[in-house]
Amino acid sequence: MSRSVRCAVNGTEAHLQVEDRDLLVDALRDQLGLKGVHAACGEGACGTCTVLLDGRGVRSCLLFAVQVEGRALTTIEGVSTAEALGPIQRAFADCGAVQCGYCTPGMVLAATELLSGCEHVPSDEEVSAAMVGNLCRCTGYASIVRAVRRAAEELLGPA
Amino acid sequence: MTAIETSAARVIGRSVPRREDARLLTGRARFLGDVDEFPDLQHIAILRSPHAHARIRRIDTGPAGRLPGVHRVFTGADISALSRPLTHLLPLPTIKPLEWYALATDKARYVGEPLAAVVAVSRAVAEDALDLIAVDYEVLPPVVDAEAALAEGAPLLYEEWGSNEFVSLSYRSGDLEAAFAGADGVLRERFEHHRVIGLPLEGHGATGRYDRRTGRLLLYASSQQPHNLRTVLANVTGLSEASIRVVAPDMGGGFGNKQHFMREEVLVAVVARHVPFAVSWLQDRTESLTASIHSRQQVHEVEAAYRRDGRILGLRARVLADLGSPALYFTGAAPAMVTASLLTGAYDVQDFAYDLRGVATSKCPSGAYRGFGQPQAMFTIERVVDLVAEALGRDPADVRRLNLIPDQPRPYVSATGARYDTGSFGGQLDQVLEAVGYAGFRDRQAAQRSRGRHLGMGMAVVVEGTAPNLHVVAGRFGGYELVRMTVQPDGHVSVQSGSKSQGQGHETILAQVAADVLTIPVDHVEVRDGDTDQVPYGMGTWGSRTAVMAGGAVTRAAHALRAKMTTIAAHMLQSPADEVTLRDGAFHGPAGSLPFAQVAGAAYLHTFLLPPGLDMGLSVVMAYDPGNTSPFPDERGHLNVAATYASGAGAAVVEVDVSTGRVRVEELVVAHDCGRVINPLIVDGQIQGACAQGLGAVLLEELPYREDGTPVARTLARYHLPRFADVPVVHALHGETPSPLLGGYRGAGEMGAIVTPAALGNAVHDALRPFGVMIRQTNLVPREVRRLLRAAGVEPDAAAYARAERR
Repeated sequence: MSRSVRCAVNGTEAHLQVEDRDLLVDALRDQLGLKGVHAACGEGACGTCTVLLDGRGVRSCLLFAVQVEGRALTTIEGVSTAEALGPIQRAFADCGAVQCGYCTPGMVLAATELLSGCEHVPSDEEVSAAMVGNLCRCTGYASIVRAVRRAAEELLGPA
Repeated sequence: MTAIETSAARVIGRSVPRREDARLLTGRARFLGDVDEFPDLQHIAILRSPHAHARIRRIDTGPAGRLPGVHRVFTGADISALSRPLTHLLPLPTIKPLEWYALATDKARYVGEPLAAVVAVSRAVAEDALDLIAVDYEVLPPVVDAEAALAEGAPLLYEEWGSNEFVSLSYRSGDLEAAFAGADGVLRERFEHHRVIGLPLEGHGATGRYDRRTGRLLLYASSQQPHNLRTVLANVTGLSEASIRVVAPDMGGGFGNKQHFMREEVLVAVVARHVPFAVSWLQDRTESLTASIHSRQQVHEVEAAYRRDGRILGLRARVLADLGSPALYFTGAAPAMVTASLLTGAYDVQDFAYDLRGVATSKCPSGAYRGFGQPQAMFTIERVVDLVAEALGRDPADVRRLNLIPDQPRPYVSATGARYDTGSFGGQLDQVLEAVGYAGFRDRQAAQRSRGRHLGMGMAVVVEGTAPNLHVVAGRFGGYELVRMTVQPDGHVSVQSGSKSQGQGHETILAQVAADVLTIPVDHVEVRDGDTDQVPYGMGTWGSRTAVMAGGAVTRAAHALRAKMTTIAAHMLQSPADEVTLRDGAFHGPAGSLPFAQVAGAAYLHTFLLPPGLDMGLSVVMAYDPGNTSPFPDERGHLNVAATYASGAGAAVVEVDVSTGRVRVEELVVAHDCGRVINPLIVDGQIQGACAQGLGAVLLEELPYREDGTPVARTLARYHLPRFADVPVVHALHGETPSPLLGGYRGAGEMGAIVTPAALGNAVHDALRPFGVMIRQTNLVPREVRRLLRAAGVEPDAAAYARAERR
């Protein structure tokens, strides 16, 4: 049965028309054209499809679209403008933390969630522990950890 | 190539920020699944065999075809009537003849083999329809193990072959009998290399549309070799290459897995040709884990003759490659040929022989993965050297120094004819040993052992063929690269490359190469790839080839345009051409200077300024073939497939938790020499990332099969990719011995994946030496380490393991 779902996506009111079985990842991509939401495993194991739901990272492949009624979503498209990168994105570029880029939107959003709750610059171990649910097949992670810490320094002041 | 003047601030060798990153970081990249130009797009789901080996007696697609939303259902019979068969393209005389179609026609030979395809309004409806297809199978016995597959009376996957052997090759060099007769000892060992998968996060897929008005087929595919795929599609569909456009958009990784021409890509093309709308198939994760491209499974039986001082005199090897289904472009046979031919590694062993057999089994096809057969070769020879040292009670570093290929002469011609042009192997070994603190390690190890902690140190020295010419081992594709380069009227430069980035930053490095020759800012050069309409041909990206091949082609193209612009500028400046130079973005002559853009504009817009007879415009299509390789073996069987070679050494310190079998990598040092570095930030990323894949391939990842041929790892819950905290920060030591080729590049993409498994295997062996555990396998996941410990009489602590699992 087709249902109407209202939610806020990247600060704008959005309206989705979905079947019960439609996943959030597909609704965001196909109905709102938010192609920066990437699917990779379909079972919540890789974090690639991470979006923020009321500020918390969720797997958009594990949620049905009907579950976001009345909630606020942030996707990678809402993190910055196309013209200017935000501090986390800038740090990713500066540190070589992007290779193929397929996991990158999920990584940036996971880092956004981590840093929004941080009062100090996280250690390497804290970054790894917080982001362990996001997989990257290209970088071997070291550059991502560096990037998240560099962004934290910019946002929070040096460690 | 004569020396040229360039801008004072050289752009080669600088960590120029990646041109790709802005779109990737903002969600504005365009991967295959993001292609949204077809309003009439319909979706394909594929019915796959649940049996490892079964005859297909009958397929009833009637009810599936009648499900609302379903357009058509295709079976193997339909596809074989609409297309020509695929082949492996291997030109080896000893290989079995084999042709296949996008969908199986008579038999299914692995779990996951595609049997039927549903085209429907959505993937969900198409998958619903799969449940309505009825297949009458005659289930046949599977052939899961490669050695059992060769046994007398084994079930035959291809009855017409008379056995399951797909290919066999033998090679002899030097005087092995004398080497073994003169030896003080002979090491006989068997090493098992287990099955893993490259598994790019973005799976395979294709989206295609046939335009009846123009008669052209457009296929988007996540392919490392779009032009070669176009050639294959032309063969299969009967369309001319001019009627097919293949576009590989942004790619979410490849790692060799996307080097193969997939049955599904062909399926989408054939279906698109015969339906009045666009169609798409995107691989899901279970499809990629069970029915795409596995890699690496081999068994090596080796005999090494050695002298009492540790010198290895001769090496004899039997390589058995478990190909799975060989219905794949070049299959696992090509990597296995590379394995066999490089088994002497970085060591000076001229008396060498191998026998190679590639065997069909009822498992997923195997093929390319980062390292292309070299991780297996280097793991085996590095274990051999360690075990010879152990047998003699000598330091493995000393035994390496005794056996390593000396620094001179170059090229060093290996026993199989590979022509190594590398820097110093011994120097790299010394570098990593110093960096890892080898001199003090044994004391530290002993102290930790007395506290019940089991540290191990493993070293490895490796050679890597790069920029290969793969006529023999990979069919017709390889050997050169083509680019189209245009200086636009405003002085900006467009480059279209036949190589195809899967995340390696080609838009940046090729821009650096062009900017360096043309002395213009890097951001005035725009590089595009992956579109067969934009450059006449291309070989794609694999084999660490792009810096050498595409870099060389860009260099040549830029020089050609620079020369033409110099001629124009000289005419405009009324000076002799040999007195005009390009420097810092301007042409300078005795009578004055002209900005680069002004000369470019003249070539298109003020053509009355051109010398008489000179063609308008500034655009070239230029190839680069470094030569130096042999397409086929010579009369001795010598074959050099790589245009150049990279060298490397690794040293790893691990700690093995003997109660859980977990191996933690405490330190990983890698010295590599990829020739001249274009962009250090990108090379660092290649090393770190390749080491992570090398680590995963031994410590975490495995693709077991049940006895009935069912794959066990069907999701990421069972296939453990390295995560944050599994991978240490790799300590990389960069060498820059220029190759003799244009630009001096060698290739940087694969070294980490080649050296890491060997170093880790040796390190785990070293850690477990007190228990008498011998490492004879690449599979060192915790369960396997526990099994090895148990076999040595050590009972792991189940409770500790359960605690570790819950972490």
